[in-house]
Amino acid sequence: MDSGSRISRRDFMKLATLGAGSLSLIAGCAPKHPPGRRVLSDDDAGLLGAIADRIIPPDEWPGGRENGVVSFIDRQLDGPYRRFRGDYRRGLDAMTGTCLEKHRKRFESLSAEKQTRLLGEMESGGLRDGGWKEGFSKRFFEMVRSHAMQAYYGSPRHGGNPDYASYRMMGIDYPPILGQNRYRF
Amino acid sequence: MKNTHVNAVVVGAGAGGGVVAKELSTAGLSVVLFERGDWVSFEDHDNDELLSQRTTVLGNAFGPDDDRYRRVLVSEDGSTGIVYPSDGAYSNVAACVGSGTVSYGAMAWRYMAEDFRMKSTYGPVGGSTLEDWPVSYDDLEHCYEKAEWEIGVAGDSSLNPFAAPRKKPYPMPPFSYNREASMLESAMKRMGLHPFPIPMLRNSVPYAGRPACARRRTCCGFACPVNAKCGTHNTVIPAALSTGNCELRTRCVVGGLIIDASGRITGVEYFDGDNTKQEQTADIIVVAASATETPRLLLNSTSKHFPSGVGNRYDWVGRNLQGHAYTGAFGLFEEDIFDDVGPGATLAVSDFSHHNPGIVGGGILANEFTRLPYLFSNIRPPGSPMWGEEHKEFQRKYFRRNIQVVGPIQEMPFFDSRVQVDPSVRDSWGIPVVRLSGRRHPKDAEGCEFLSGKAEMILKEAGASRTWRHVPGSGLSGGQHQAGTCRMGDDPHTSVTDRFGRVHDTPNVFVSDASLHVTNGGFNPALTIMALGYRVGEYIAGEWQKGNRFK
Amino acid sequence: MVRTPLRILTVALVLLVAAGGGFYYYWNASSPRSTCESCHEIESSSALWAQSGHRDFLCKECHGTALSSGLHSLKEKGMMFVDHFTGGGPERIALDEEQVLEMTENCRRCHGTEYARWLSGGHSATYAAIFLNDRHNRAEQLNADCLRCHGMFYRGRIQDLVTPLSQKGPWTMAAAGQSNQPVIPCLTCHKIHREGSPAVPAEYAEPGKIFYSRRGSPSTVLFYDRYEKIHVQAPALPVLKLKENARDVKVSDDPRQRVCVQCHAPGAFHQAGTADDRTPRGVHEGLSCPACHESHSNESRQSCINCHPAISNCGLDVTKMNTTFLESRSPHNIHFVRCIDCHTKGIPPRRRPR
Repeated sequence: MDSGSRISRRDFMKLATLGAGSLSLIAGCAPKHPPGRRVLSDDDAGLLGAIADRIIPPDEWPGGRENGVVSFIDRQLDGPYRRFRGDYRRGLDAMTGTCLEKHRKRFESLSAEKQTRLLGEMESGGLRDGGWKEGFSKRFFEMVRSHAMQAYYGSPRHGGNPDYASYRMMGIDYPPILGQNRYRF
Repeated sequence: MKNTHVNAVVVGAGAGGGVVAKELSTAGLSVVLFERGDWVSFEDHDNDELLSQRTTVLGNAFGPDDDRYRRVLVSEDGSTGIVYPSDGAYSNVAACVGSGTVSYGAMAWRYMAEDFRMKSTYGPVGGSTLEDWPVSYDDLEHCYEKAEWEIGVAGDSSLNPFAAPRKKPYPMPPFSYNREASMLESAMKRMGLHPFPIPMLRNSVPYAGRPACARRRTCCGFACPVNAKCGTHNTVIPAALSTGNCELRTRCVVGGLIIDASGRITGVEYFDGDNTKQEQTADIIVVAASATETPRLLLNSTSKHFPSGVGNRYDWVGRNLQGHAYTGAFGLFEEDIFDDVGPGATLAVSDFSHHNPGIVGGGILANEFTRLPYLFSNIRPPGSPMWGEEHKEFQRKYFRRNIQVVGPIQEMPFFDSRVQVDPSVRDSWGIPVVRLSGRRHPKDAEGCEFLSGKAEMILKEAGASRTWRHVPGSGLSGGQHQAGTCRMGDDPHTSVTDRFGRVHDTPNVFVSDASLHVTNGGFNPALTIMALGYRVGEYIAGEWQKGNRFK
Repeated sequence: MVRTPLRILTVALVLLVAAGGGFYYYWNASSPRSTCESCHEIESSSALWAQSGHRDFLCKECHGTALSSGLHSLKEKGMMFVDHFTGGGPERIALDEEQVLEMTENCRRCHGTEYARWLSGGHSATYAAIFLNDRHNRAEQLNADCLRCHGMFYRGRIQDLVTPLSQKGPWTMAAAGQSNQPVIPCLTCHKIHREGSPAVPAEYAEPGKIFYSRRGSPSTVLFYDRYEKIHVQAPALPVLKLKENARDVKVSDDPRQRVCVQCHAPGAFHQAGTADDRTPRGVHEGLSCPACHESHSNESRQSCINCHPAISNCGLDVTKMNTTFLESRSPHNIHFVRCIDCHTKGIPPRRRPR
């Protein structure tokens, strides 16, 4: 080993500290989105979670929020549902706008009855003003409804339905108990 | 590098193309079999409902993909829009080796004698291009038999008094009924109907070197992990490849036929897996790309000899697009019925296939394949909420307590239901895409009304506490049972191919898929597509051996 | 003057190595909270780990480091780094099979007894023993579903593993490196990131309350589902509803048995004795698998004494009776044997079980 590359213990510690300091670099590139999410902001997630809990309300089995609807939608918006990002932005903003205007509260803070009533109006296409022009409320509601169902009842690998909770709720074995062996040893 | 000239090119490695490739290569012809998709395996997407062939919301496990493929749909109001393969309106057929035969439910129906003579049996139907086939059931009987034995069918036709006559029984015994089928069987018998086990392209016992079915719930819409489902991918295509005469080229998209200066068709041009444009010359070209993609290929192949596309002198290519008007009823019960014995559908009646008063044709009725939870979340009685507490409660109460009895109504061919090529929209290879337009004939609604009524009666007899019917709308049909767009016939003015699938006006271009169907039967079409594959393949191979070079 | 650039270069190199080395050391020795977890994909998993009995182990001890297993891990960790900054990346971070098998060796360091038991039983079979078994392969064709219970961590397809997929043979391992690896490693039934006992000292002031202050802790056995790549806790696994013709067979509600049943399963109709079913019927109906089988070795030689001779309907030494316990060719399978099998003319009234 030549003398130029030998370093004292003290130097090493200094450099190691420097190295550790470079961790702040990592911190600098830390997530643009809240932990666990890729596309949706905290506000978006709060609102979508509240919608999910009306579409599939919690009872003795988890509601839509608890059963991964938000994380499913978030992940799909970064995948095959990238094409729906614009619709989600427009729809979530329009919902918040409508709620502030009508109730001076965000959707998340409304009572379950008021939330259900508003979603019902969206479903029937009853909302027409502001962001809801051209029948968008109906289209947006149906999109969120079907995505929530996919999350809740689909395979956990897509971000929703952790551990197949909905299968257990419906009395469907997962993993199925299914032998096939015709070989006897 | 230029590809070596071969005797035959087959475009599409599905139910029709796989059979033709096997018939030709075993007869000694050199064959190149083109497939736009690739080999797929169960492990690629296993039990994932959201990509299965029945619920393609996150994409198609068996292709094609949404990135490179698209179509144009003309709605009933005349507006047009782009549709992608994961949209139902695309009328997707799987893009992989074996195509739909990898993921199908695998019902193995022979059409009945009447299905080949619809016009003679029922007389002309106003507004429909209803016609007899140029071939009869008897002409196809031995082809059905070959399909049943070479690809493999389990069944017992002795229990179905309406079954067309056969010379040889099925090679495998039938599948046993699951719980719902047993319930329906007694109900049907009480009603004087004739239930029987559905013939299936699936091994009920080990057959042809592959294992027996394990009766999984994820069968229809999924690949088989046990390799018990019989498709062209695990039977005739491997047989073709093992002759040494057949080369399978996967991930190759055929864009057009090559037409020389004299108007002779000399081969195909295609894009290989690296999207490089290539040519493959051949003496014979067999197009077996599905009832939407086959007409697209013919229409996209133009020259001064074929100004509006190959075989399209009288504007019949792409006409008469039909599928099946699926109709039936749901019943809710107050006891558990679901026993999780796959694939679900095991029993049928053929009592309503023909000779129903006031109805042209008809259809079989069968219990339905196992539905997974997401698919079930969209099934509710009319007027029921599609979300909220009640929806959730229904989901957990009735998943185990419902039966659907359903069947395909034979549709009346409609001249203006059609496949065209779009003048402006192209796929990612720059090939003009399919443009779908049209609607169903009003007569189909009458058939649906009739058949769904019968389904509802059966469910009531079986003890359903609540029943409701479902009938399709009047919009364009197609879907996975798409057919009819290059119909066979003796008169070149009103058909696209002759009785052996050869395109009129050409000596060497054949069609071998459901495009040939003049009418589509009241049955799932897979076995008939395979039988036609044997007919076309047998004809070409026989002529070739006699010295005919199709010049 | 000539030496200056060289000197600068050397110093720069030293700085780089030291900084990089320091970073590498720090990264691999720190709590995940300040390292791995700053990437936003793994926090729930790392929170579980923090509650588990394995919380004193560092990430690197199971997941390896960039330099722990040569090019393989360098590539893997490198790609994580690249993916992290390009916004792509794996949906879930999971051990590959190589790491799973390395972990088996890690488990052995502390769980030597369990390891030895596992090694002595049927569940430590190797890929070669399972997939190159002539008798099996002639009787039943290899297929993708085999991997559900043997080689569940194998990331290829069955045709990548063994060839040919026919009943004719001869069979060879296409993935030769797999041959001597175990098909059912520890992680099939166990999981590291699992809620465990939080470190809470007992309240000695009131010894009688210690029992009541304990929470029920979740099952230590789980089943690894190859398709979802998740572990399902034993209590969440489905309970077998077994039929003997129309009769409901009494099946133990022991959650551990639900793990066994995942692989030792009857056919789709759930009829007793079909396919791989070994659920006890007859005199042993209702017993759970672990009542007789030791969980790591499957050993059951010593288990009769748990109940017999205290419970014996005949007053005979049960281990000497004509059953498969004594002799593998006996017609009376110990799992299914009934009184009537020996008392073919009827059970003597005074010896009828109460």
